[in-house]
Amino acid sequence: MKRNMRIVVSMVLIASLAFSLFAGGKAEEAAGKKVINLWSFTDEVPKMMEKFKELNPDFDYEFNTTIIATTDGAYQPALDQALAAGGANAPDIYCAEAAFVLKYTQGDAAHFAAPYKSLGIDVDAKLKEADIAPYTVDIGSRNGELVGLGYQATGGAFIYRRSIAKDVWGTDDPAFVTSKVGPGWDRFFVAAEELARKGYAIISGDGDIWHAIEGSSPQGWIVNDKLFIDPTREDFLDIAKMMLEKGYTNDTQDWGDAWFADMKDAGEKKVFGFFGPAWLINYVMAGNSGGSKPGEGTYGDWAVCEPPVGFFWGGTWVIANDKSPVKDAVGKVIEWITLDSSNTGLQYYWANGTLEGPGGTKDTVASGTVMKKSNGTLDFLGGQNMFDVFVPAGAFATGKNKTQYDETINSYWRDQVSNYANGLKTKAQAIADFKQQVADNLALNI
Amino acid sequence: MKKSGVSYAKYGYIFSIPFVVTFIIFSLYPTLYTVVIGFTDLRGLGKTAFKILSDPFENYKIIFANKTFRTSLKNTAIIWTMNFIPQITLALLLTAWFTTRRFYVKAQGAFKVLIYMPNIITAATIAILFNSLFGYPKGPVNDILVRFGWVAKPQNFHLQKWTAKGVVAFIQFWMWYGNSMIVLIAGVLGIDVTLFEAAEIDGANATQIFFRITLPRLKTIVLYVLITSMIGGLQMFDIPKLYLNGGPDNATLTSSAFIYNQAFSGSYLYNRASAASMLVFLIIVVLSVALFLLMRDRDEVKLRRQERALKRRGGVA
Amino acid sequence: MKSLKASTITMKTIIYIVCIFLSILSIFPFWVMIMNATRNTYQIQQSSVALLPGKSLMNNWKILTGKSFNPWVGFFNSMIVSTGTTICAVYFSSLTAYALVAYRWKLRDAFFSFIMAVLMIPAQISGIGFYQFMYRIGWTNSLLPLILPAIAAPAMVFFMRQYLMATLSLDIVASARIDGSGEFRTFNQIILPIMKPAMATQAIFTFVGSWNNLFIPLILLTRQEKYTMPIMVSLLRGDIYKTEYGSVYLGLTLTVLPLFVIYFILSKYIIAGVALGALKE
Repeated sequence: MKRNMRIVVSMVLIASLAFSLFAGGKAEEAAGKKVINLWSFTDEVPKMMEKFKELNPDFDYEFNTTIIATTDGAYQPALDQALAAGGANAPDIYCAEAAFVLKYTQGDAAHFAAPYKSLGIDVDAKLKEADIAPYTVDIGSRNGELVGLGYQATGGAFIYRRSIAKDVWGTDDPAFVTSKVGPGWDRFFVAAEELARKGYAIISGDGDIWHAIEGSSPQGWIVNDKLFIDPTREDFLDIAKMMLEKGYTNDTQDWGDAWFADMKDAGEKKVFGFFGPAWLINYVMAGNSGGSKPGEGTYGDWAVCEPPVGFFWGGTWVIANDKSPVKDAVGKVIEWITLDSSNTGLQYYWANGTLEGPGGTKDTVASGTVMKKSNGTLDFLGGQNMFDVFVPAGAFATGKNKTQYDETINSYWRDQVSNYANGLKTKAQAIADFKQQVADNLALNI
Repeated sequence: MKKSGVSYAKYGYIFSIPFVVTFIIFSLYPTLYTVVIGFTDLRGLGKTAFKILSDPFENYKIIFANKTFRTSLKNTAIIWTMNFIPQITLALLLTAWFTTRRFYVKAQGAFKVLIYMPNIITAATIAILFNSLFGYPKGPVNDILVRFGWVAKPQNFHLQKWTAKGVVAFIQFWMWYGNSMIVLIAGVLGIDVTLFEAAEIDGANATQIFFRITLPRLKTIVLYVLITSMIGGLQMFDIPKLYLNGGPDNATLTSSAFIYNQAFSGSYLYNRASAASMLVFLIIVVLSVALFLLMRDRDEVKLRRQERALKRRGGVA
Repeated sequence: MKSLKASTITMKTIIYIVCIFLSILSIFPFWVMIMNATRNTYQIQQSSVALLPGKSLMNNWKILTGKSFNPWVGFFNSMIVSTGTTICAVYFSSLTAYALVAYRWKLRDAFFSFIMAVLMIPAQISGIGFYQFMYRIGWTNSLLPLILPAIAAPAMVFFMRQYLMATLSLDIVASARIDGSGEFRTFNQIILPIMKPAMATQAIFTFVGSWNNLFIPLILLTRQEKYTMPIMVSLLRGDIYKTEYGSVYLGLTLTVLPLFVIYFILSKYIIAGVALGALKE
């Protein structure tokens, strides 16, 4: 019995080995056809390509899609290798997420990117026509030349509970709440006090406010080749401590179980609001609100207003390979995704949630032109049109304060802030340890 | 003990060829690459050209002085000890219980199977699960503690250094004690049954059998468990990285996580990462040699010495 | 006699209690994983640890199969890689270990030290060099570079050597030679059966390790038809706000199932109470 098993297994093994070798060989032959190599970390952009081909039946290129998720940090090493190796398998179009896009547009991997101009796109005219949010352009520019653009707009707003606003101030009107929570953090904390007196927490955890602070600081972590702690970011140390002491939050960790629970009032105190872009509303809060239509859970009890400071959070940028042999075709695709503000451009479908037929999830897009003519009303927001708030919010946001090390530096910073806010360290010690970590792990000058 | 006539020694070489060839093809280049980079200035993405530094050991000196590196070594040692001592104790205990014929434990098979299971699941999944388990302010552990009144309010397990270390050590223990146990049991199964039968006839009880017969015969396998646990422990990476990413405040940063961060956390300091791995490698070598010497079979050493003495006197083959 | 029985009973009770406790502890995460496979993303986000099932199993299954990849292909690929790796590793490690134990040759001790040294090299950085090397020679999108390196498995050689040192008596080999058996045949027909418990245990470990391995396959395999199961599960995790946790857990559960099967098949070699000695004195 064992011997037969061994023989069977070896036959299967040999057969499949031969098969895989053979299959590898076959793929090489197909290189003669018209192919665009597309690399992404989700299936968002690949799905868009289906619509593109539907709209352009005489576009005879095949898309060769490679999707590698960013979990375990595997997307970037593979992408980097593929770009460096070049050849027929190198990416023609590749996507980069906000967390690491700077590396590919301005940092160490920026030399792989092709200027949009060289793809046959009339950049200046199109940018104006589409009214693209400036921060997207800033992030995607290498020495003034546009090499990458995002399709999603991720400018942030303040998303608050209507019923709590009514309870504390008697009205849930967005304009009124805007003036209550901002502009500026001082007014925000006055509002926090008023809410606390009635037993509400203004936000769920200190992470919510960090994205806004980080995104709106005048300067980034690196200035003149040295680590720089912008005063607005340094203030976060004391803000976090103060919020904890005065009970303005439920002390949750963003993306932790308790943070999600706060979206449907399951936390210790009811939470007034969250900071975030449109995707937070549609992809995170809607499902976690404890219901799917108005009246269930907190669904329908929300509204958006302008945040005390402007910021952006997340997004995907689309970049073309400078050495791509099919630049014209690539140019057409990229223009359709990022700069086409007509009713058949990707962004119109994306904004109205009609990419795969009616009734899909709506989202904010980079083009202000598109948003102005799209319908962003959501039941979740009690019938409010989210584009009314997100269009100006996009103008607020700035991309000038980002560096390619942000992901790592931010995690060290928040770790130290957490220690200080909970009384485990002095402020001086926290800052010193933060600098030590940055120096030790990133070899940056402090 | 030399065999006269045909020497079979050449088979030793022949049978080792597959290993050596495979190693040379697949592992030699990467390993040499790593060793060499430790002496160069290679850093940053996508660069392939590098030159040897004017002070070849510069990277080593930097890593040596690097506070975070030293912290990571300390953490690795602490967490490993916290993990290994319970692990080997429990594994030996269970092995003793399951292989002693007098305690015929019913459903023994089922127990062995179940106890090994944590080793099957990926570290990533476990890390997420435990992260949620000890979540703050709401998490199952906190819920239970508060409900039974053992603590007044939820504890932030992720924020305190020693609870973080403890949880990581516990997860490692829990994932690997079954593995150790199975290895030990396999070793016991290789011991000749007649030895046990003879001992029982002589009236030895279970403890005596275990300590006088099983354990000594198991020495080689125990050495294996010790060494691989140590090497594995010094390279502990998955759980510390995925559970709290080395936090809070570097409390669960192990040496492997440190090396990974050097190479991948934004500055791509490949040269320093290589130097650090070489340093860790040296530490492993020193510790392993020490272990080997400690656990060496004294009798075999005596025998070899006698042989050598005989040979020198021109004695009989 | 009576006191002996009493103490045995107390021992057995203690043993049972401890074992049951440990078993529950060990099953716990699997239970949670399976439960989560039946809940939808939002339920999981609210509270990751659940003891009772939800109702979203079919929904999660639809999402899983609705993605642009085929789970069956992943299963097949994983099967090839893991089986190949296990067979290569177990067979050749036994062979190498036998060479280290049964024969006396000049370089023997040096070779063993070399193997131990290789064992001590930290895995990560050689991983980087490995995949850079594979890219350079263009050997990506093939399952072979995932299988062949297993022929040189230092940890397993170490274990087999320790095992053989403890259980092998060279008289068997001598008697086989007298019977006229060639060395290779002796190894295959006489030595390997002795090593069954060792081979079974190491086979399990190797299979599990190879099956769950994500990083190197993720980097080397970029074509969809070559994906292994862990790669497919990782694809379910898109941006942090779009991850379908229910399907992820379902995918994870499916990934683990074959491991259970292999484990149960091989575990009878470990459970067997009968020792497998080859010599009857």
